[in-house]
Amino acid sequence: MRSMGRIIRSGERVALSHYHLDPAQWSEMLTAPGTTLPLISCWADDARAYVLLLEGDCPLLASTIVEDRRYLAPSSRFAGAEWGERVSYDLYGVEAMDARGNGAPALDEGGWTSTWPLSSRPGPAAGGLRPLAGSHLLRPEQTGLSGPLELSFEVLKGKIRDVEVCAGAAHRGLVARLVGKTPEEAMPLVSRVTAGGFVAHPLAFARAVAQARGLVPGPGIRDVWMILLEIERISIHLFDMARTARGVDAELLATHCDHAREAIARACSEQGVSRRLMDMVTCDGFRDGLEIVPLAQAVHAAMQPRLAALEELHRVFAPRLDGVATLDARLAECFAVGGVTGRASARSMDMRRREAGMRLEALRATGSSRGDARAREGLRLAEIRDSLALMERILGSIGLEDDEPAPDRTEEGIGVAEGARGDVWYWVRLKDGRIESLHVRDPGVSLLPVLGAMLRGYAVDRVPAALGSIGLSPAGIAL
Amino acid sequence: MSGVRRAGPLSLLYAFMDATRWRPSMQETAPRRERPIGLYVLETGGCEGCFMEIESLNGSAFALEQAGFVCVTDPADADWLLLTGAVTRVCAEMVDRVWRAMPPGRCLIAVGACAVDGGPFPAGYATLGGLQALTPVRRSIAGCPPSPEDLLRALQELARG
Repeated sequence: MRSMGRIIRSGERVALSHYHLDPAQWSEMLTAPGTTLPLISCWADDARAYVLLLEGDCPLLASTIVEDRRYLAPSSRFAGAEWGERVSYDLYGVEAMDARGNGAPALDEGGWTSTWPLSSRPGPAAGGLRPLAGSHLLRPEQTGLSGPLELSFEVLKGKIRDVEVCAGAAHRGLVARLVGKTPEEAMPLVSRVTAGGFVAHPLAFARAVAQARGLVPGPGIRDVWMILLEIERISIHLFDMARTARGVDAELLATHCDHAREAIARACSEQGVSRRLMDMVTCDGFRDGLEIVPLAQAVHAAMQPRLAALEELHRVFAPRLDGVATLDARLAECFAVGGVTGRASARSMDMRRREAGMRLEALRATGSSRGDARAREGLRLAEIRDSLALMERILGSIGLEDDEPAPDRTEEGIGVAEGARGDVWYWVRLKDGRIESLHVRDPGVSLLPVLGAMLRGYAVDRVPAALGSIGLSPAGIAL
Repeated sequence: MSGVRRAGPLSLLYAFMDATRWRPSMQETAPRRERPIGLYVLETGGCEGCFMEIESLNGSAFALEQAGFVCVTDPADADWLLLTGAVTRVCAEMVDRVWRAMPPGRCLIAVGACAVDGGPFPAGYATLGGLQALTPVRRSIAGCPPSPEDLLRALQELARG
């Protein structure tokens, strides 16, 4: 009896971490005895079905051929694969056999110009929006999130029993827009996937492209990327904290978060870069003219004096967040929930720890693992402190050499960046220098299957406040 | 790089004191109106950057209400609809529903490059390519995304007519 990892490695290796499995090996993988590797993402197109797994802290990608528009459903083994299967059906019309769930549309609400728009054989338009199932609805504009997301609920005696998500309102057809472009042409669009990851998304993409091209960014570039990511982490954590605080009428804490975030934006602006660091990351480094040392110093100087007040105010208002939208540790592990939400539920994954050149001694954040909004907010604050410490460490030894070897050029790469809201993953395959195929996985996707459990027992009108502390981005989920 | 650390309960006191010292970033005096202009913000499928900047403008770091505006949560209370995002085809119905719920005298403003003509997300199978696909865009605020200061300045100019 072979383990899941060994079965995958018995397939044909086509890239650094990618193995082609025949249908028999795919089936064996899905029924392998022993531990189930954590699923990062699942997707399929006309030709192949893919699962991206984590083995330790290393990605492992397995794929198999799609025959007659069908493939054996990864969700038969990986509970979190269901969303990807539904998305793949909506976009390509490929069907996951023996899938879990009800197969409801994930993206296609019936308003598109065609059915299965990315398929080689798209169908005619559905001809009108489909109503969602469920006894109660939160319309896209009523969720309190930054983007449109349709939530429908099964409600019993005024309390939520289950949640269904449809993200079609936020879907912009990102993959269709990126395929065929060179990575450099694609970068401005990748930089606008979601405002929760103006740095994290392009950074994960740049790392995937570098791996596909057989390149390793030099230590100077690597350190600039790390600093940009930490500045974004501080800013987004403050945004999510302010929103959470307002959800429980902790206006003073929200006010301090607002001012701190604005101070960071101004520090960026005064250093000649965009307020939210948009368009800073390029495929081979960073924007010309970026002076990282004064930028990091300015952000540090703006943020450090504000931390004590934020921590004290958090202590004052934290009891209001007790038990709000609690994520059970077992579910966080099962569905590979990352970011603050996962770590506040006892999942220790932080992809920064595997990065070459990371100053690990700065990453000390630990906190409660109770899984509720209080734990998440406490962790956000601790991570802001870590981010400042990490910036100090990097500035103290910027460009420190290491001996990370360059991978072979395989035209295919996987990149990850630990963004403020979790681990952002990109997989790209290049052909003749252009993107032939691509997959994006925003950390919000891993939250979808656990949303029902987190909101169970809530009244529908309390959902927006509960969602505030999770940091969900419809734009990142829907693409 | 280290600032003065105000630890313990004392920092809470400082937090209140700081709050009393804060000054709005908008120094101009807003023209007096009988009541503030109600703003309803609708994101229709963009990166959410414009929406988040409006949320920042509506937070404590800017003097939105002193400038004569208030963000509302019900379209029935709104005078102006601030639309962000590239307008996905699914969202068109939502835009129409919100617009119809607004009282007469309403005004539509496209915020950010996406909302005007789709910006980096022109018309496709899932997107209409901005508000211009639905209606002529007469009022807009440029930027990708516009900063809160830019937004406030543009709103005041629009209010002045």
